[in-house]
Amino acid sequence: MDLFSTGLMSGIGFLAVVLVMLRFESIGGWTLGEVAFLAGMIEMSFGLMDMVFGGFDPDWFSGVVQSGRFDQFLLRPVNLATQLLGANFLLRRLGRVLEGIVFFGLSLWLTPVSWSVAKLLYLPVVVLSQVVAMGSLFMVGSGLIFWTVQRIEAVNILTYGGVELMSYPVHIYPRWLQRFFTFGVPFVFLNYYPALYFLDKPDVLGFPVFAPFWAPLAAAGMLLMAIWFWRFALRHYQSTGS
Amino acid sequence: MAMIQVANLVKTFTVNQRGGGLRALFAPRRRTVTAVKDISFALQEGEMVGYLGPNGAGKSTTIKMLTGLLVPSSGEVLVDGMIPWKNRIRYVQKIGVVFGQRSSLWWDLPVMDSFDLLQAMYSIPRERYQRNLKMFREILELDDFLQLPVRSISLGQRMRAELCAALLHEPQLLFLDEPTIGLDVVAKERIRTFIRYVHEERHATIVLTTHDLTDIERLCERVMILDHGKILYDGALKQLLERFEGQRRLVVTLADPLAAPRLPGLAEPRREGAQVFYSFDPKTHSAAQILAMLNEEQTILDVEVRRAGLEDTIRRIYEQQLLFPVDDRTGKAN
Amino acid sequence: MGLRQQMAYRLAMWAGLATNLFFGLLRVIVLIALYQAQLSVNGMSLQQAITYSAVAQSVIAFLTVFGSSDLMRTVYSGAIATDLVRPVGFYGYWLARDFGGSLVNLVGRGLVFLLLFRLFYAVDLPNDVIAWLCFGVSLALGWWVSFSWRFLVNLASFWTPDALGVGRALFGISQLFSGFIMPLRLMPDWFRQWSEFTPFPSMVNTPIEIYVGLLSGAELWRALLWQAGWALALFGVAQLVYAAGIRRLVLQGG
Repeated sequence: MDLFSTGLMSGIGFLAVVLVMLRFESIGGWTLGEVAFLAGMIEMSFGLMDMVFGGFDPDWFSGVVQSGRFDQFLLRPVNLATQLLGANFLLRRLGRVLEGIVFFGLSLWLTPVSWSVAKLLYLPVVVLSQVVAMGSLFMVGSGLIFWTVQRIEAVNILTYGGVELMSYPVHIYPRWLQRFFTFGVPFVFLNYYPALYFLDKPDVLGFPVFAPFWAPLAAAGMLLMAIWFWRFALRHYQSTGS
Repeated sequence: MAMIQVANLVKTFTVNQRGGGLRALFAPRRRTVTAVKDISFALQEGEMVGYLGPNGAGKSTTIKMLTGLLVPSSGEVLVDGMIPWKNRIRYVQKIGVVFGQRSSLWWDLPVMDSFDLLQAMYSIPRERYQRNLKMFREILELDDFLQLPVRSISLGQRMRAELCAALLHEPQLLFLDEPTIGLDVVAKERIRTFIRYVHEERHATIVLTTHDLTDIERLCERVMILDHGKILYDGALKQLLERFEGQRRLVVTLADPLAAPRLPGLAEPRREGAQVFYSFDPKTHSAAQILAMLNEEQTILDVEVRRAGLEDTIRRIYEQQLLFPVDDRTGKAN
Repeated sequence: MGLRQQMAYRLAMWAGLATNLFFGLLRVIVLIALYQAQLSVNGMSLQQAITYSAVAQSVIAFLTVFGSSDLMRTVYSGAIATDLVRPVGFYGYWLARDFGGSLVNLVGRGLVFLLLFRLFYAVDLPNDVIAWLCFGVSLALGWWVSFSWRFLVNLASFWTPDALGVGRALFGISQLFSGFIMPLRLMPDWFRQWSEFTPFPSMVNTPIEIYVGLLSGAELWRALLWQAGWALALFGVAQLVYAAGIRRLVLQGG
């Protein structure tokens, strides 16, 4: 039941879009099936990330730091990140993964995709990249809590907002937003460009041919930054206490 | 080499000043608070020290630095040859920590599961784990609630479980922070007995932070008193009591209480029914002297000597500021 | 409230507004992309759709679109015992309490949000006083319907220990059918027809369509009556369910 309601909650937003697209038929030149491809992918990945990186969820983590429970983690002879990865595992978050699968399935049913071995091999790589990239955002959000104690709403805009953003083709966004998500937080390479590759769609933004394959690079880059920041934040915590 | 060596330890915090209106939002006024102002001490292996001090004295800050949770502003800490906050994982393997006010166990899991998880985390060899577990189960009587989730056991039960948890990996150094807080008298005594056992049988080095002075009386030979970030006293408990105990009271039941005299060098006695209370300073008078003086004229029916407890003594020390920080440049205690 | 608390509260409010604004703007971008060159879809122009989204986002807090769980929490904590002893009617008590908080949100969150939104996109205003009045009435009715709905959902706590989970699912569904996520007019006709069987459109879609000026004359009156009908119906159902629930609660011993 919990699984279902969680999946429903996150699916409602996109369901509304699906219904609306029944009337409009396309958005930015992309059909419903193609948009569902984007949304399905990112929802699956976010759900997986939410399960794996649950301990880094800023909402939960802020409670841990505020109550002083975080010290317990520091007193155990196990790597901190390892402890946190398992600390807040919620099975019901699988609901979001299932919801993503439903939309992804819808997309495959509506849109013919010419699969090749290369595409099938790259698909899990893209999912993994998305999981790692969003996990990095969680990590940064939690790291910030060492300074502010209360969670920062702005991080939600990047994580939950990011999922929404990546559910639509990037060229519908104003130029400044596109640039931000290319050079600032590389969302563009995580979902949109790989989708161009899978769906055999032309690139209207004029990026290099290899852009669809930059997803793992973008994810790796974000992860490295997040780890660096996390270590920095931890050091700050240890010199100022709670 | 000493087990714990602390030299010139200092910890300063910058705290944001509260209030201040709109200005506070853009340029918050910051205040530096020095929680620990240059303390030094050494603890030998196998020693148990009671760590005392009023709230805000800097006790928990010191403990955090000793357990690696906090990095000092300056000074040195060497525990068993290691610096606590460096190489965290290796260091933490060697110590056991019990916080009275926070649980180290997994709240929703049965107590036994917490122990199993700890075995995995500390990589305790199976044989040693089983052996210790069996022993602690017996001594601490854990079997009644071993399968219950931590959230549903009583405080006394939880403290016993926490002690077991902290000792499963056989650390030679223990930090106990208010282990008897909130417990009833019987439970407190149990915990104290167990701590004594660990100290004597296992020769563990123990730092006991507590507000309960009976804990100190029962367990510690050595005490350290901290106030305002400085060490006021570091030495034997007995000597502390001898120096600062203050007045004792001789309570005599007289046949004719109204005739109780005022004795030379002593204050006016207090009368309560048939009992007469004489306060005296044990340094200048002895109970025997006073009794002898009384016996000359009065008929004494019953005698009792009451000493000021450790609690009263400590209170006097705080209130009247009878102790000054140890000046460790000259090395002289006051 | 201490100044520090006020600061924290205000920061949280701004943070909430920022999130609101983000999702609101995102929705508008999607709408613009959807409309492309079309002037009007099913009678709704792009500008009207944009205004719709802006107003919808601004009344989130007022209408408590995401649902509330205060009532069920008092049931689970046992605090409800003190509430039941009060001389005021239970429903009336929660109504008054909720309305006070909501009103603050209308100005605090609602108005400020619209002002911020106008920095990015133009927001239309109703044409005349009568339009404003109708909107006001409709919004009040919408609020009432929303309240009764939330009241009912929270009453689930009388029957199940997992009212929170039930609530999450139900509130999610109500969001979809209320026209909050996307205007109902932009959804397929069959969907719109089905949603009329639920009270949800009366909460968000109707008042905002009145604001945007899509309903007028006979249609307007019909819509208002329909809303009022739902408001009364839910009110009645709430009373019945409450009575049944209290009986159960008392029998069970709380």
